[in-house]
Amino acid sequence: MLATVPSAALFGVAGVAVTVEVHVARGLPGFTVVGLPDTSCRESRDRVRAALLTSGFAWPDKRTTVNLAPTSVRKIGSALDLAIAIGVLVASEQLSPAAIEDRAFLGELGLDGTLRHVPGVLPIIEAISAPEIIVPPGSVHEASLVGDRRVLCATDLKELVDALTAEVPWPRPPDEPFDLTVAALPELADVRGHQVARAALEIAAAGGHNLLMVGPPGAGKTMLAHRLSGLLPDLDDGIALEATRVHSAAGVLPPGGLIRRPPWRAPHHGTSAVAMVGGGSQRLRPGEISLAHGGVLFLDELGEFSAVVLDALRQPLEEGVIRIARAETRVEVPADFLLVAAMNPCPCGEGVIPSSCRCTDRALDRYRRRVSGPLLDRFDLRLDVHRPDPRALLHGDGAESTAVVAARVRAVRERARSRGVTSNAGLGGSALERDAPLSAPASDLLQRALESGRLTARGLRRIWRVALTIADLAEHDGPLRAEHVASAFHLRADPAFLLGSSAA
Amino acid sequence: MSRRAIPSDAFVVALARLPQVGPARLRSLLCVGEPSEVWESLCRVSPSESTSQRSSVVGKLMADGLDRLSETQRVGLIELWGRAARSLDVSTFWQAHLDAGIGVTVFGSPSFPPVFAADDDPPMVLFWKGDLDHLAGVRAALVGTRRASRYGRDVAFELGRDLAAAGIAVVSGLALGIDGAAHSGALEACAAPPIAVVGSGLDRIYPRAHAALWRRVADAGVIISEYPLGAPAAAWQFPARNRLIATLADALIVVESQHTGGAMGTAIEATRRGGVVMAVPGPVTASSSDGTNQLLVDGCVPARDATDVLIALGRDSVPRRSATESRRPPSPEAAAVLEHIAWQAAPMEQLLLATGLDLGVLALHIDALEAEGWVAQRAGWVERIGRSRS
Repeated sequence: MLATVPSAALFGVAGVAVTVEVHVARGLPGFTVVGLPDTSCRESRDRVRAALLTSGFAWPDKRTTVNLAPTSVRKIGSALDLAIAIGVLVASEQLSPAAIEDRAFLGELGLDGTLRHVPGVLPIIEAISAPEIIVPPGSVHEASLVGDRRVLCATDLKELVDALTAEVPWPRPPDEPFDLTVAALPELADVRGHQVARAALEIAAAGGHNLLMVGPPGAGKTMLAHRLSGLLPDLDDGIALEATRVHSAAGVLPPGGLIRRPPWRAPHHGTSAVAMVGGGSQRLRPGEISLAHGGVLFLDELGEFSAVVLDALRQPLEEGVIRIARAETRVEVPADFLLVAAMNPCPCGEGVIPSSCRCTDRALDRYRRRVSGPLLDRFDLRLDVHRPDPRALLHGDGAESTAVVAARVRAVRERARSRGVTSNAGLGGSALERDAPLSAPASDLLQRALESGRLTARGLRRIWRVALTIADLAEHDGPLRAEHVASAFHLRADPAFLLGSSAA
Repeated sequence: MSRRAIPSDAFVVALARLPQVGPARLRSLLCVGEPSEVWESLCRVSPSESTSQRSSVVGKLMADGLDRLSETQRVGLIELWGRAARSLDVSTFWQAHLDAGIGVTVFGSPSFPPVFAADDDPPMVLFWKGDLDHLAGVRAALVGTRRASRYGRDVAFELGRDLAAAGIAVVSGLALGIDGAAHSGALEACAAPPIAVVGSGLDRIYPRAHAALWRRVADAGVIISEYPLGAPAAAWQFPARNRLIATLADALIVVESQHTGGAMGTAIEATRRGGVVMAVPGPVTASSSDGTNQLLVDGCVPARDATDVLIALGRDSVPRRSATESRRPPSPEAAAVLEHIAWQAAPMEQLLLATGLDLGVLALHIDALEAEGWVAQRAGWVERIGRSRS
C-alpha cells in the first residue's frame, strides 16, 4: 500500500516542501530511501525502525521504499524522521489514512520514539501548505510564529498516534520559555569622557553607518562598541522574521521566539571565511554576517582577521545579501548588518599619539596592508578613540543614558522611513539630492574637499549621508548646514593618519 | 647614425652598463685605452682566441686591469663583457639617455662637478635628473636606517625641513625610513633644493614605494647616479652610492642607525674625507639608536636640531625666522578656539570640553584655522603651528 505524507526540509535558510511517499509491498524484506537523501537523512531508516518497535508498533516484514519528492533537491538533516515513520505506519495499515489527512509532520525521532526539535523549524513550516502541522514539543513556539497554521505537538510517537486516532485529546503544548537574555544591556551612561566617540555611536545607530574605531589598547573601543546594541531600535516585523529565519536555520534561535532585538555578533578574529559569510559543502549554513542581519557585526582587532575573510565582506556590505554558490546548490541569504570594527593604530598600539609609536616602517607597512583600502572606504565613520582624560574619568560629566539616546535614534529612523529607507545609510545618490539638499556654505566645503583630492565621489556620498544623520539628530529641517558637513568630515578621518602615519 | 657621429661619452655610458662593472672596474676599463677603442676590442673578443691573438686593450686588461681575480676569472669576465657588448647598440643606448632627459657627464669633462673631481675615489661617469647646478651650495647629508622608528623619522623630517629652510641643500639616498623622511621634510620647506644619490639606473625607481618622492626630488632638486639606464639596484652598489653621499656632505648627520648598516659605512667614508660627522642622540634602550649613540661616544658632534648642524657648519647660530607674520589673522571666534589649542597635539575632545562648542562648529573653526596655517590636524588630534613654514 502507498502512503503520502507532506513535510519539508531545510535548504540554505529557506524551507522546501517535501512529500514523503512510502510504499510497502510484497517482496524481499528491505528498506530503501531514495530521492537524494544525505547521510543524516539516510540514517533515519534506523531511527524510524527502532522508534516504531519501541513504541509498540510492528515493522513491516515486506519490501519498503521511501521516496522523498522532489527528487532533485538534496535533503539534509533528520527533520523528515517523523514523516517517514507516519508514512510507514499508514502504508503498513497500522494507521488509517484518514487520520493524517490535511496534516503535515516534522521532527526527529529518538530510538525510544521521542520527538525532538530540529533546526530551521520556522523556514521549514513556511514551506508547508497543510493547515495542521505536528511538531515536536520543543518546536511549538517557533512553529507558531507562522500565524495561519494550527500547530500541534506530541511528546512521543505513541502519544501522537493515540491523538491522531482521537483516542486521547491532543497534549497541551509546553509553556513559553522565559527569555532571560533581555536583562543586561550595557548602559551608555556608564561611559566617562569619549564625547566624540559617543556621538559617533549615536550617529552610527541612527543612520546605520558602518563605524571603525582605531585606538591604543585600553582606550575603550570594545566597551563603546558594546553600548551600540542598546541604542538600536527594535526590528520591524519583516526584518525580525528574516533574522529569526536565519537563526532558526543555523539552529541558534534563542528561546522566546521571534527575534525582536537587533542581533549582536562578535566573531573571533580566527573565524574562517565560510564561518563568516556562510556556506559549507553539503548543508549551506548561514554565516556570522547573516546571523547579524538587522543587527551589528562587531569585528574586534580588525587587522588580525585574514584578508580573505575581510574581502568577503565587501559584496554583502554593498548589497545586504550574500549569495553562496556551490557545485550543486545556490542560495541567497540576507546579510544586512551594521559593521562596527575596532583595531589598534599599529602593532605596538600607540601609533596615533604623535611620537610615541615604537614600530618600524616595515612593521607599519605590513600592518596597514592587512586591511584593504576598499574595505576602509566602506566605513562611513572612522575615528580615533584615545584613552580618556583622567579628569573625565574621575569627575563624571553626566553622560546621557542609553534610553535617552535610543529615543533620538528612533526618531531619526522614523525620518529615514519617511524617505523610504530603513536608515539614512541606504539612501541612493538621487534620493540624497532630493531629501538632503546642501546649503551654500556646506556645498562650498564639499567642493573644496573634492578639488583638493581629500574626497572621492564615493566618499562624498558617505559624508553627505552622515551629515544628514547629524542634521536629523539635531532635528534640523531644511538644507544641510556647513557644520553638519564639517562634523561628518571630522568623524571620517583619513585612514593614512589613523593607521600609524608615515612622517608628517 | 654613422660611427663617427657617436660621441666618446656614449662609449663610456655603454661600458658602465656592462655586467659586474662598478666604479673601480669602469676606471680600469677607461685606463687601458680610448672608450671607443675599448668597446670595439671587447666586441671582437671571441671565446677561442689565444693569448697571441688578443688585442692590445684586452692584453692590458688581462695584465693589470683586474685586481683580485684569477687568470681564468679574468678570461671569463672579459668573455662575458664581449657577449654583452655585442648585444648592446651604443648609439641607441646613448639616444635613450637623451630622450629620457638624463644628464651625463664624464670624469675630466668641464661640466664634471668639481666636488666629485677632487675626490680620491671619484665616479668615472655621472647621470643626473634635475639640475646639476643645485650641487653648488652648502650641503648636509641626512642618512640612517631603513627600519626607522617613529622618533627617527620625525627627527629626520624636522632636520630636513629646517636645514632646507636655512638654505642648506639636504643630501640623502631616497631609501625607505630616514632617507625618505629627510627628503619629505626638505621638500616641505620649499627652500634649498634636495639632492638625492641613488644606487640604480635613474629609470629603476627603488624602492617602489618612493616613486612619488623620487619625482618630487627630481622636480625640485637633482637625483644623481653612477649607473646608466636599466641598471638594477644590486646590493653591492649601495656602499658605492654611500661614498658619493659622503663626498657631497659638508656635514653628515646620522639620524638613526643600528650598530651596523649602510649609514655607519657612510659615516666612515665621511670621516676619511675629513668631513663633519654628526649623530642624533637616541634612547639608550633602543637598539635602533645603538649606532648613533656609539658615534657620539666615539666623539661625533651631537645633532639635536638644525641649529646644531648650522653651528657645526659655521653658519648663523639661529635659523632665519620670517620677521613678519604672513598668515591672515583668524576671525574672533576662531581666535578664541586657537587660544585653547596647545602646542603639542591634543585630542579634539579636550577642545570640545574647553570651548563648550558643538562638534560641527568647532570642526568648522579648525578647518578655517588649518587652511590659514595656524593649526595642523590629523585623525582627531589638533596641534598649533608656531610660525609659517614658507
